Amino acid sequence: MNMNKKAYYGEYGGQFVSESLMNVLDEIDKAFEEAIHDPQFIAKYNYYLKQYVGRETPLYFAERLSEKYGTKIYLKREDLNHTGAHKINNVIGQILLAKRMGKTKVIAETGAGQHGVATATGAALFDMECTVYMGEEDVKRQALNVMRMEMLGAKVVSVRSGSNTLKDATNEAIRTWAKTAEDTFYIIGSAIGSYPYPKMVKEFQSVISREAKIQHMEAEGRLPDVVMACVGGGSNSIGMFADFIDEPGVELIGVEAAGKGIDTEEHAASMAKGRPGVLHGTRSYLLQDDDGNIKLAHSISAGLDYPGVGPEHAYLHDTGRAKYVPITDTEAMDALMELTQTEGIIPAIESAHAVAYAFKKAKEMTPDQSMIICLSGRGDKDVNTISDYLAGKGYLN
Amino acid sequence: MTENRIEARMRELNDKNKKAFITYITAGLPDMKTTKEIIKAQEGITDVIELGIPFSDPTADGPVIQQASFEALQAGASLDKTFKLMEELRGEGSKQPIVFMMYYNTILNYGLKAFADRCAELGVDGLIVPDLPYEEQDGLKGALAGNGDATILIQLVSPVSADRIEKILADARGFVYCVSAMGVTGQGGTYHKDVVEYLKTVKSVSKIPVMMGFGIRTADDVKPMKEYIDGAIVGTHFINLMREADFDPIAARDYASAFKEELNAAIHK
Repeated sequence: MNMNKKAYYGEYGGQFVSESLMNVLDEIDKAFEEAIHDPQFIAKYNYYLKQYVGRETPLYFAERLSEKYGTKIYLKREDLNHTGAHKINNVIGQILLAKRMGKTKVIAETGAGQHGVATATGAALFDMECTVYMGEEDVKRQALNVMRMEMLGAKVVSVRSGSNTLKDATNEAIRTWAKTAEDTFYIIGSAIGSYPYPKMVKEFQSVISREAKIQHMEAEGRLPDVVMACVGGGSNSIGMFADFIDEPGVELIGVEAAGKGIDTEEHAASMAKGRPGVLHGTRSYLLQDDDGNIKLAHSISAGLDYPGVGPEHAYLHDTGRAKYVPITDTEAMDALMELTQTEGIIPAIESAHAVAYAFKKAKEMTPDQSMIICLSGRGDKDVNTISDYLAGKGYLN
Repeated sequence: MTENRIEARMRELNDKNKKAFITYITAGLPDMKTTKEIIKAQEGITDVIELGIPFSDPTADGPVIQQASFEALQAGASLDKTFKLMEELRGEGSKQPIVFMMYYNTILNYGLKAFADRCAELGVDGLIVPDLPYEEQDGLKGALAGNGDATILIQLVSPVSADRIEKILADARGFVYCVSAMGVTGQGGTYHKDVVEYLKTVKSVSKIPVMMGFGIRTADDVKPMKEYIDGAIVGTHFINLMREADFDPIAARDYASAFKEELNAAIHK
């Protein structure tokens, strides 16, 4: 593995793609490195983040929750971004890069639809042709986001293979990319995929922690004790961790979806229950069976319903720099309702996983300590799932 | 040490100035017994059998092989069962050169050394791993090297490999698999626009036979590039054909005979 060392985080990462994509990855890598060292590119990226996305997002001190749980709880309000989640941060970066490389078309995979909506939005803004691949199951769960993508002019392809969710949508996006890479840029939304994708996603999401660090310093005059975020593929969490990784005093916690419980067969906890393997171009923790076939993931939240995790998270896990914990569907939904009714903020079900663990973690913290929870997205897209859940009808998948 | 079966066959063909013909089937479609019969029926005709090990997420394959893979898994196919099939084949005296086409996770899951040892022991002559590009091959190559030349790693090149071709082919063995189109298997004869130029380049660099695959159905499909290739690989079309013939081994034999004859006729005329 030493041949391709820069593509690795310890033993994780790499470039496990077909030969026809190797030169493509190399071109992207070169263009990306050039772009992020070009002050004009960075200025443009920052301009769109400020004027279009609406950054910076607030670091909100959740007063009532803090009082209830006896420690300082801050919410990094990525839900207030244009399009409703952190996904747009990365899309703006990658689409500016695609433009710079002279590509005319973009494709994307999406689970909850947030990355799809963000990509469709960016494509409308920058006048590019856009196709979004989405599992059939997610198309049903996230009808509102499908409508939004179509309004924005994107073509949504409903993928019917395997589990009909994010994993299968990603397979199809990779196949299409391999066919069309000469004029098409694949905008990956999670911190997964072959190098340099995990690095790009981290770079373009790290704005979350850069802002949060400064904001917390202003509010408390010091660094937070704990930073946490939900982890599916791991894009909001790697963005939330990025600027704190080299601050040993800050505890980093990633919250995985435990679905119906990690002792059942229905969960998406690839760190808790998976083992290292190769999927979607990268080596990382994966849910797999005895033959090395990838297992179906389960989570009430479409955005966490993925059997793998980004390679840098696998590395942070093994080195002990970050801790990864599971939260069940029920715990997440309870936290979602509590945040809604206590602070008047309806979070995405994905983000509610982080909130749920924060309530547990708060119990071991003191009133003068503080934590930041990344509120990666808003819950508007989830109202159907939430209403079905509350009505006791269960939910899809 | 005995010569690798693929390399021996390629040498024979070269001596006779003949082109090679390779078919792909998914192991365990519709069941392992039928797969074995289909392989045996082609003995002495088809030069190499590419045996696909089904995987849950076959990202290098188009809809036909995806479906084949899915059905085979549903029917209980696995790497272990395919090894058993190999054991039976060799036990029954088959000298057919066989390569496994499989995704890297299946190998990693088995363990690199254990996998290489088992392949050597059962006479798996080569491997095609579409999601393991040159830069990531050290581990597997190391494991295979432990068993001499028993199992060789077949290299793939694509129409956009460009300056990578030389590096990839430097220590390539057996034959080089030239993907005729961008993307996945089975795109029905729509080759890359620069396919002839590309094959010409590969042929000029390669010290080993050049095989063309992806989207080939008949010997006529490869006629325009006959000067630059040493053989053809038929996968998706072969699966379709097998389905139409209800997996009749005789149909496999007839198709392979006809293709091979035409391929060589098309070339010599």
